[in-house]
Amino acid sequence: MFSLNTRAIYVLASLLALWVIVPIFLIATLAFSDRSSVFAWPKGIFPQHFSLQTIGFFFGVEGVGRAIRNSLVVASLTLLFSVLLGAPAGYALARYRFAGADVYRVLILMTRAFPLAILAIPLAVQFIHLGLYDTPLGVALVHTALALPFAVLVTSSLFLGIPKELEEVAWTLGCNRVQAFVKVVLPLALPGLAATAIFAFVISWNEVFAATLLTLRERTLPAFLLGALNDSPLPFRFAGGFLLIVPALIFIFSVRRYLFTLWGIANR
Amino acid sequence: MSGIRVENIEKLFGKAKVLTGVSLEIRDQEFVVLLGPSGCGKTTLLRIIAGLEYADKGQVWIGDREVSTLPPRSRKIAMVFQNYAIFPHLTVLENIAFGLRMQKASAERVKAQVDRAATLMHIENLLQRYPAQLSGGQRQRVAVGRALAVEPEVLLMDEPLSNLDALLRLEMRAELKRLLAESRTTTLYVTHDQVEAMSLADRIAVMNVGQLVQYDEPIRVYQEPTNTFVGGFIGSPPMNFLRLRVEGGQARIESLMLSLPTSPPGQEVLLGVRPEDLEAYSQQQPQSFPAEVRVVEPLGPHLLLTLTYEQQSLKATVPPDFNISPGQTLWLKPQPGRLCWLDPTSGQALSR
Repeated sequence: MFSLNTRAIYVLASLLALWVIVPIFLIATLAFSDRSSVFAWPKGIFPQHFSLQTIGFFFGVEGVGRAIRNSLVVASLTLLFSVLLGAPAGYALARYRFAGADVYRVLILMTRAFPLAILAIPLAVQFIHLGLYDTPLGVALVHTALALPFAVLVTSSLFLGIPKELEEVAWTLGCNRVQAFVKVVLPLALPGLAATAIFAFVISWNEVFAATLLTLRERTLPAFLLGALNDSPLPFRFAGGFLLIVPALIFIFSVRRYLFTLWGIANR
Repeated sequence: MSGIRVENIEKLFGKAKVLTGVSLEIRDQEFVVLLGPSGCGKTTLLRIIAGLEYADKGQVWIGDREVSTLPPRSRKIAMVFQNYAIFPHLTVLENIAFGLRMQKASAERVKAQVDRAATLMHIENLLQRYPAQLSGGQRQRVAVGRALAVEPEVLLMDEPLSNLDALLRLEMRAELKRLLAESRTTTLYVTHDQVEAMSLADRIAVMNVGQLVQYDEPIRVYQEPTNTFVGGFIGSPPMNFLRLRVEGGQARIESLMLSLPTSPPGQEVLLGVRPEDLEAYSQQQPQSFPAEVRVVEPLGPHLLLTLTYEQQSLKATVPPDFNISPGQTLWLKPQPGRLCWLDPTSGQALSR
């Protein structure tokens, strides 16, 4: 039924999927197992003793609650800034022909060309001067810089996909530009904007390098875990890993359709 | 309702001049078609009247208001776009009601106007649907209904039928004509389809390379083109142009002498004659000239002949049962009174 080629592709794809899924699966099951099965060897494939012991222990560790709260604040700020700055830029790129539009497009991508490692030290120094060092706002600003190119290019293709005539017809029917945007463009762009926002959130939630360098006490979750992981017991590692992976996975899964279209893969 | 007047409109795109001083007046309740090949500036002119583009020079008047600098929403116009531009996130009802809601019309007025527009367009049973559930023809109806619902002073249409398939286009064309005759809205309609223009217009404004070339009733534009461009652009097949010698104030084809309205500037003159205005005979007739048949194309209602007269190619139509084959000679008799005379150097019609 299938040709040899398709079969080979399916086998390869399955291997790849397993390579990603098995560790996630193990982390997830062990995060919800009791202490003894976390330390047991060999471990069973399926969770044997469901229990909230491991997760409970993780949340009991000092600093975890604060790190989660910081992560949420930073990621939310990043989401807000990325959409508020990225969407207007994307709209301008989509709707107006202005001098330097192409250069601007490339410049946006160029921001991703500078390794964060090079920027981190000058940034830390600057942030200390500005009083932004070790604050969620400081980290959120850097994360916004990381998420913004994505937000601009994605929203620009999003707005390009909404015919200009829809706005024009709204103008002729009595709308000014703002009304036409709010009544016509925004409702049509909303799902895509939501996807952009969620993606910015995930970028921030997973980012560890800048967060580690720019904070001391106000650590985000990944930065906190990175510092604590090596000298922590196994249950802590499993529960921490689980909490890092899951929100990102859920978000990406919920917006996958938009990510496909954004990356130029045909819709559905 | 009111007329439209544009005066000396000039428009530049970068360095390219797309409109070079166009003036046009459309009377109240008149249906005018802007006709021209693509790139002639007709859509740009329409968008300038709508306020979607601004002219570099010149004025636009709607009724007795000068609207040149007003935004589209203040011009009391409505526009129908080529791709219909129906709002996909709104139902048909909300699409039609959109303009009224923007005017903050009362609920009764919205309902009355939507019902009226829907009845006019025969889409009463589609009001609760979303555009994705409509066919191309139905979307077209919604777009026109939405434009008419706001009772605009002026209706602007940009190639509204060109996205429909041929059969549906024919049907919608007749319907549009009925509809706009009923609603008596001043309409400016852009198309590159000369049949559409002929069938719909009270007057046709023919444009070419950023200029208005002729502005007249369809039949006059068809029969008395002001230059070779209009004669060649309108009509399918286009008008024939024969270069003839002038002798003693008359044009000569073989033994046939045709009198001219005025004496032409040069030694030659251009005869413009429609293919259907050449009567064909297989034997020599008085008042006719011989031409050799090159191609015979049976088109159903008639045969389309391609002939040559002194190396000049011309087309003629004959009844479908006319017995003719390539290589034969036919005698063509031009219908007096249906002939145009043009200056071969400038391509302009000789003044009558």
